Amino acid sequence: MILRLLSAALAAGFLAAVVATGLELALTSPLIVEAERYETPAPGHAAQALPIVLAHSGHDHAAPDAAPEWQPAPGFQRMAFTGLATLVGGVGWALILGAVLLACGREPTLQTGLAFALAGFASVALAPALGLPPELPGQEAAPLLARQAWWVMTAAATGMGLYLIGVRRSFIAILGGLVLIVAPHVVGAPPPPSGSSELPAALAAQFAARSLAIGVVFWAMIGLGFGWAWQNFGSAGRRHA
Amino acid sequence: MTTQTTTLAPVAVRANERLMAAALATFLGLGLIFMAGFSPAIALHNAAHDFRHAQNFPCH
Repeated sequence: MILRLLSAALAAGFLAAVVATGLELALTSPLIVEAERYETPAPGHAAQALPIVLAHSGHDHAAPDAAPEWQPAPGFQRMAFTGLATLVGGVGWALILGAVLLACGREPTLQTGLAFALAGFASVALAPALGLPPELPGQEAAPLLARQAWWVMTAAATGMGLYLIGVRRSFIAILGGLVLIVAPHVVGAPPPPSGSSELPAALAAQFAARSLAIGVVFWAMIGLGFGWAWQNFGSAGRRHA
Repeated sequence: MTTQTTTLAPVAVRANERLMAAALATFLGLGLIFMAGFSPAIALHNAAHDFRHAQNFPCH
Protein backbone atom coordinates (compact mmCIF):
# COMPACT_ATOMS: atom_id res chain seq x y z
CA MET A 1 0.00 0.00 0.00
CA ILE A 2 2.76 2.43 0.96
CA LEU A 3 4.82 1.63 -2.15
CA ARG A 4 1.76 1.93 -4.37
CA LEU A 5 0.93 5.31 -2.83
CA LEU A 6 4.48 6.63 -3.15
CA SER A 7 4.91 5.47 -6.74
CA ALA A 8 1.50 6.77 -7.83
CA ALA A 9 2.32 10.14 -6.25
CA LEU A 10 5.69 10.26 -8.01
CA ALA A 11 4.07 9.51 -11.36
CA ALA A 12 1.23 12.00 -10.83
CA GLY A 13 3.60 14.72 -9.62
CA PHE A 14 5.85 14.17 -12.61
CA LEU A 15 3.01 14.29 -15.15
CA ALA A 16 1.54 17.41 -13.56
CA ALA A 17 4.95 19.08 -13.32
CA VAL A 18 5.69 18.52 -17.00
CA VAL A 19 2.45 20.24 -18.01
CA ALA A 20 2.59 22.97 -15.35
CA THR A 21 6.26 23.79 -16.01
CA GLY A 22 5.48 24.32 -19.68
CA LEU A 23 2.60 26.62 -18.77
CA GLU A 24 4.67 28.49 -16.17
CA LEU A 25 7.54 29.09 -18.57
CA ALA A 26 5.16 30.20 -21.31
CA LEU A 27 2.69 32.27 -19.27
CA THR A 28 3.97 33.41 -15.87
CA SER A 29 7.78 33.44 -15.96
CA PRO A 30 7.93 36.14 -18.69
CA LEU A 31 5.63 38.35 -16.56
CA ILE A 32 7.82 37.75 -13.46
CA VAL A 33 10.96 38.74 -15.38
CA GLU A 34 9.21 41.84 -16.69
CA ALA A 35 7.95 42.75 -13.20
CA GLU A 36 11.45 42.45 -11.75
CA ARG A 37 12.40 45.56 -13.73
CA TYR A 38 10.05 47.52 -11.46
CA GLU A 39 11.33 45.92 -8.28
CA THR A 40 12.95 48.53 -6.04
CA PRO A 41 15.85 47.10 -4.07
CA ALA A 42 15.35 47.42 -0.33
CA PRO A 43 17.83 49.86 1.23
CA GLY A 44 20.95 48.30 2.63
CA HIS A 45 21.55 45.36 0.37
CA ALA A 46 22.86 44.63 -3.05
CA ALA A 47 20.73 45.77 -5.95
CA GLN A 48 20.81 42.48 -7.82
CA ALA A 49 19.67 40.42 -4.83
CA LEU A 50 16.02 39.57 -4.30
CA PRO A 51 14.61 41.49 -1.32
CA ILE A 52 14.29 38.37 0.78
CA VAL A 53 17.13 39.08 3.16
CA LEU A 54 15.44 41.65 5.33
CA ALA A 55 12.26 39.64 5.65
CA HIS A 56 14.18 36.66 6.96
CA SER A 57 17.14 38.22 8.70
CA GLY A 58 15.96 37.09 12.11
CA HIS A 59 15.40 33.51 11.05
CA ASP A 60 17.72 30.74 12.17
CA HIS A 61 17.70 28.95 8.80
CA ALA A 62 19.20 31.85 6.94
CA ALA A 63 22.01 33.67 8.63
CA PRO A 64 22.27 36.71 6.36
CA ASP A 65 26.04 36.88 6.37
CA ALA A 66 26.68 33.13 6.17
CA ALA A 67 26.97 32.69 2.43
CA PRO A 68 26.60 34.74 -0.73
CA GLU A 69 23.05 34.64 -1.99
CA TRP A 70 23.02 31.93 -4.57
CA GLN A 71 20.50 32.31 -7.31
CA PRO A 72 20.05 30.47 -10.58
CA ALA A 73 21.58 32.14 -13.61
CA PRO A 74 19.08 33.81 -15.93
CA GLY A 75 17.84 31.76 -18.82
CA PHE A 76 18.12 28.00 -18.92
CA GLN A 77 19.27 27.50 -15.34
CA ARG A 78 16.43 29.58 -13.94
CA MET A 79 13.94 27.70 -16.11
CA ALA A 80 15.38 24.36 -14.99
CA PHE A 81 15.04 25.28 -11.33
CA THR A 82 11.47 26.46 -11.92
CA GLY A 83 10.79 23.02 -13.40
CA LEU A 84 12.50 21.28 -10.49
CA ALA A 85 10.52 23.27 -7.93
CA THR A 86 7.32 22.48 -9.81
CA LEU A 87 8.24 18.78 -9.71
CA VAL A 88 8.92 18.89 -5.97
CA GLY A 89 5.67 20.76 -5.39
CA GLY A 90 3.70 18.44 -7.67
CA VAL A 91 4.95 15.29 -5.95
CA GLY A 92 4.29 16.92 -2.57
CA TRP A 93 0.69 17.78 -3.41
CA ALA A 94 0.17 14.35 -5.01
CA LEU A 95 1.35 12.66 -1.79
CA ILE A 96 -1.06 14.72 0.25
CA LEU A 97 -3.88 14.08 -2.24
CA GLY A 98 -3.25 10.34 -2.04
CA ALA A 99 -3.14 10.45 1.74
CA VAL A 100 -6.46 12.29 1.90
CA LEU A 101 -8.10 9.86 -0.54
CA LEU A 102 -6.93 6.87 1.52
CA ALA A 103 -7.79 8.45 4.86
CA CYS A 104 -11.30 9.19 3.55
CA GLY A 105 -11.60 5.56 2.46
CA ARG A 106 -11.95 6.40 -1.24
CA GLU A 107 -10.50 4.19 -3.95
CA PRO A 108 -8.30 6.48 -6.09
CA THR A 109 -9.68 6.53 -9.65
CA LEU A 110 -9.74 9.17 -12.37
CA GLN A 111 -13.04 10.46 -10.97
CA THR A 112 -12.20 10.54 -7.26
CA GLY A 113 -8.69 11.80 -8.03
CA LEU A 114 -10.06 14.69 -10.08
CA ALA A 115 -12.78 15.54 -7.54
CA PHE A 116 -10.38 15.62 -4.59
CA ALA A 117 -7.77 17.47 -6.65
CA LEU A 118 -10.27 20.23 -7.48
CA ALA A 119 -10.99 20.50 -3.75
CA GLY A 120 -7.22 20.75 -3.28
CA PHE A 121 -7.07 23.55 -5.83
CA ALA A 122 -9.89 25.36 -4.05
CA SER A 123 -8.10 24.93 -0.71
CA VAL A 124 -4.52 25.87 -1.51
CA ALA A 125 -4.87 28.10 -4.57
CA LEU A 126 -8.32 29.66 -4.92
CA ALA A 127 -9.17 30.37 -1.26
CA PRO A 128 -5.78 31.91 -0.35
CA ALA A 129 -5.90 33.93 -3.59
CA LEU A 130 -9.15 35.60 -2.47
CA GLY A 131 -7.23 37.34 0.30
CA LEU A 132 -3.72 37.31 -1.12
CA PRO A 133 -3.99 37.57 -4.91
CA PRO A 134 -1.12 35.95 -6.82
CA GLU A 135 1.53 38.56 -6.67
CA LEU A 136 4.41 39.68 -8.84
CA PRO A 137 7.83 40.73 -7.58
CA GLY A 138 7.80 44.42 -6.77
CA GLN A 139 4.22 44.55 -5.53
CA GLU A 140 3.56 46.04 -2.13
CA ALA A 141 2.69 43.33 0.39
CA ALA A 142 2.31 42.69 4.10
CA PRO A 143 5.21 41.05 6.03
CA LEU A 144 6.02 37.59 4.68
CA LEU A 145 5.43 35.63 7.89
CA ALA A 146 1.98 37.14 8.40
CA ARG A 147 1.02 36.27 4.82
CA GLN A 148 2.39 32.73 5.14
CA ALA A 149 0.49 32.22 8.39
CA TRP A 150 -2.78 33.45 6.85
CA TRP A 151 -2.15 31.32 3.75
CA VAL A 152 -1.62 28.15 5.80
CA MET A 153 -4.60 28.86 8.03
CA THR A 154 -6.88 29.55 5.05
CA ALA A 155 -5.73 26.47 3.14
CA ALA A 156 -6.21 24.23 6.19
CA ALA A 157 -9.62 25.71 7.09
CA THR A 158 -10.89 25.48 3.50
CA GLY A 159 -9.65 21.90 3.12
CA MET A 160 -11.26 20.87 6.39
CA GLY A 161 -14.46 22.72 5.45
CA LEU A 162 -14.67 20.99 2.06
CA TYR A 163 -14.07 17.64 3.79
CA LEU A 164 -16.94 18.30 6.23
CA ILE A 165 -19.25 19.35 3.40
CA GLY A 166 -18.24 16.80 0.77
CA VAL A 167 -17.42 13.70 2.82
CA ARG A 168 -19.25 14.03 6.15
CA ARG A 169 -22.41 15.59 4.69
CA SER A 170 -24.50 15.81 7.87
CA PHE A 171 -26.33 19.06 8.56
CA ILE A 172 -24.02 20.04 11.40
CA ALA A 173 -20.94 19.11 9.35
CA ILE A 174 -22.07 21.22 6.39
CA LEU A 175 -22.77 24.15 8.69
CA GLY A 176 -19.36 23.79 10.36
CA GLY A 177 -17.72 23.43 6.96
CA LEU A 178 -19.25 26.65 5.69
CA VAL A 179 -18.11 28.46 8.83
CA LEU A 180 -14.57 27.11 8.38
CA ILE A 181 -14.44 28.18 4.72
CA VAL A 182 -15.76 31.68 5.40
CA ALA A 183 -13.90 32.38 8.67
CA PRO A 184 -10.43 33.19 7.24
CA HIS A 185 -11.99 35.79 4.95
CA VAL A 186 -13.94 37.34 7.81
CA VAL A 187 -10.69 37.57 9.79
CA GLY A 188 -9.12 38.98 6.64
CA ALA A 189 -5.73 38.61 5.02
CA PRO A 190 -2.89 40.82 6.23
CA PRO A 191 -3.40 44.06 4.27
CA PRO A 192 -0.62 45.43 2.07
CA PRO A 193 1.02 48.62 3.32
CA SER A 194 -0.38 51.74 1.73
CA GLY A 195 1.98 52.90 -0.90
CA SER A 196 2.20 52.92 -4.63
CA SER A 197 4.09 50.56 -6.84
CA GLU A 198 5.53 51.30 -10.24
CA LEU A 199 4.21 47.99 -11.46
CA PRO A 200 1.52 48.35 -14.18
CA ALA A 201 -1.85 47.11 -12.90
CA ALA A 202 -2.55 45.31 -16.19
CA LEU A 203 0.58 43.20 -15.70
CA ALA A 204 -0.46 42.24 -12.16
CA ALA A 205 -4.03 41.41 -13.23
CA GLN A 206 -2.86 39.26 -16.11
CA PHE A 207 -0.45 37.46 -13.80
CA ALA A 208 -3.13 36.72 -11.21
CA ALA A 209 -5.48 35.24 -13.82
CA ARG A 210 -2.74 33.16 -15.44
CA SER A 211 -1.51 31.91 -12.06
CA LEU A 212 -4.95 30.58 -11.11
CA ALA A 213 -5.46 29.07 -14.56
CA ILE A 214 -2.15 27.20 -14.26
CA GLY A 215 -3.14 26.16 -10.75
CA VAL A 216 -6.34 24.49 -11.88
CA VAL A 217 -4.54 22.61 -14.68
CA PHE A 218 -1.73 21.61 -12.29
CA TRP A 219 -4.21 20.20 -9.78
CA ALA A 220 -6.37 18.50 -12.38
CA MET A 221 -3.29 16.75 -13.74
CA ILE A 222 -2.23 15.71 -10.23
CA GLY A 223 -5.67 14.23 -9.55
CA LEU A 224 -6.09 12.48 -12.91
CA GLY A 225 -2.47 11.31 -12.83
CA PHE A 226 -2.81 9.92 -9.33
CA GLY A 227 -6.05 8.06 -10.10
CA TRP A 228 -4.58 6.66 -13.30
CA ALA A 229 -1.28 5.64 -11.71
CA TRP A 230 -2.96 4.08 -8.67
CA GLN A 231 -5.18 1.91 -10.89
CA ASN A 232 -2.31 1.02 -13.20
CA PHE A 233 0.25 0.17 -10.53
CA GLY A 234 -2.40 -1.81 -8.66
CA SER A 235 -3.33 -4.03 -11.59
CA ALA A 236 0.34 -4.58 -12.39
CA GLY A 237 0.86 -5.62 -8.76
CA ARG A 238 -2.03 -8.07 -8.91
CA ARG A 239 -0.73 -9.65 -12.12
CA HIS A 240 2.65 -10.29 -10.55
CA ALA A 241 1.16 -11.61 -7.33
CA MET B 1 -14.18 -18.13 16.77
CA THR B 2 -11.49 -19.14 14.32
CA THR B 3 -13.50 -17.83 11.39
CA GLN B 4 -14.01 -14.53 13.21
CA THR B 5 -10.30 -13.94 13.67
CA THR B 6 -9.45 -14.92 10.11
CA THR B 7 -12.07 -12.59 8.66
CA LEU B 8 -11.52 -9.66 11.00
CA ALA B 9 -7.74 -9.58 11.11
CA PRO B 10 -7.11 -8.76 7.43
CA VAL B 11 -9.65 -5.95 7.53
CA ALA B 12 -8.01 -4.46 10.64
CA VAL B 13 -4.57 -4.85 9.08
CA ARG B 14 -5.74 -3.25 5.85
CA ALA B 15 -7.27 -0.28 7.65
CA ASN B 16 -4.15 0.08 9.75
CA GLU B 17 -1.88 -0.14 6.71
CA ARG B 18 -4.04 2.41 4.90
CA LEU B 19 -3.72 4.90 7.74
CA MET B 20 0.02 4.27 8.09
CA ALA B 21 0.49 4.91 4.37
CA ALA B 22 -1.64 8.05 4.57
CA ALA B 23 0.32 9.35 7.56
CA LEU B 24 3.68 8.72 5.90
CA ALA B 25 2.55 10.32 2.63
CA THR B 26 1.21 13.37 4.49
CA PHE B 27 4.50 13.77 6.32
CA LEU B 28 6.58 13.45 3.13
CA GLY B 29 4.20 15.65 1.15
CA LEU B 30 4.18 18.46 3.69
CA GLY B 31 7.99 18.28 3.78
CA LEU B 32 8.22 18.68 0.02
CA ILE B 33 5.67 21.50 -0.03
CA PHE B 34 7.53 23.29 2.74
CA MET B 35 10.77 22.96 0.78
CA ALA B 36 9.30 24.17 -2.51
CA GLY B 37 6.88 26.77 -1.20
CA PHE B 38 7.84 28.03 2.25
CA SER B 39 11.45 27.33 3.15
CA PRO B 40 13.13 30.59 4.15
CA ALA B 41 16.60 29.32 3.11
CA ILE B 42 17.70 31.88 0.55
CA ALA B 43 19.08 29.36 -1.94
CA LEU B 44 15.83 27.37 -1.87
CA HIS B 45 13.81 30.56 -2.18
CA ASN B 46 15.78 31.74 -5.17
CA ALA B 47 15.68 28.33 -6.86
CA ALA B 48 11.92 27.98 -6.43
CA HIS B 49 11.21 31.70 -6.93
CA ASP B 50 9.21 31.58 -10.17
CA PHE B 51 7.30 28.49 -9.02
CA ARG B 52 6.35 30.19 -5.77
CA HIS B 53 5.02 33.24 -7.58
CA ALA B 54 3.22 31.19 -10.22
CA GLN B 55 1.54 28.94 -7.63
CA ASN B 56 0.67 31.82 -5.32
CA PHE B 57 2.83 30.91 -2.35
CA PRO B 58 3.61 34.08 -0.38
CA CYS B 59 7.05 35.08 -1.59
CA HIS B 60 9.29 37.91 -0.34
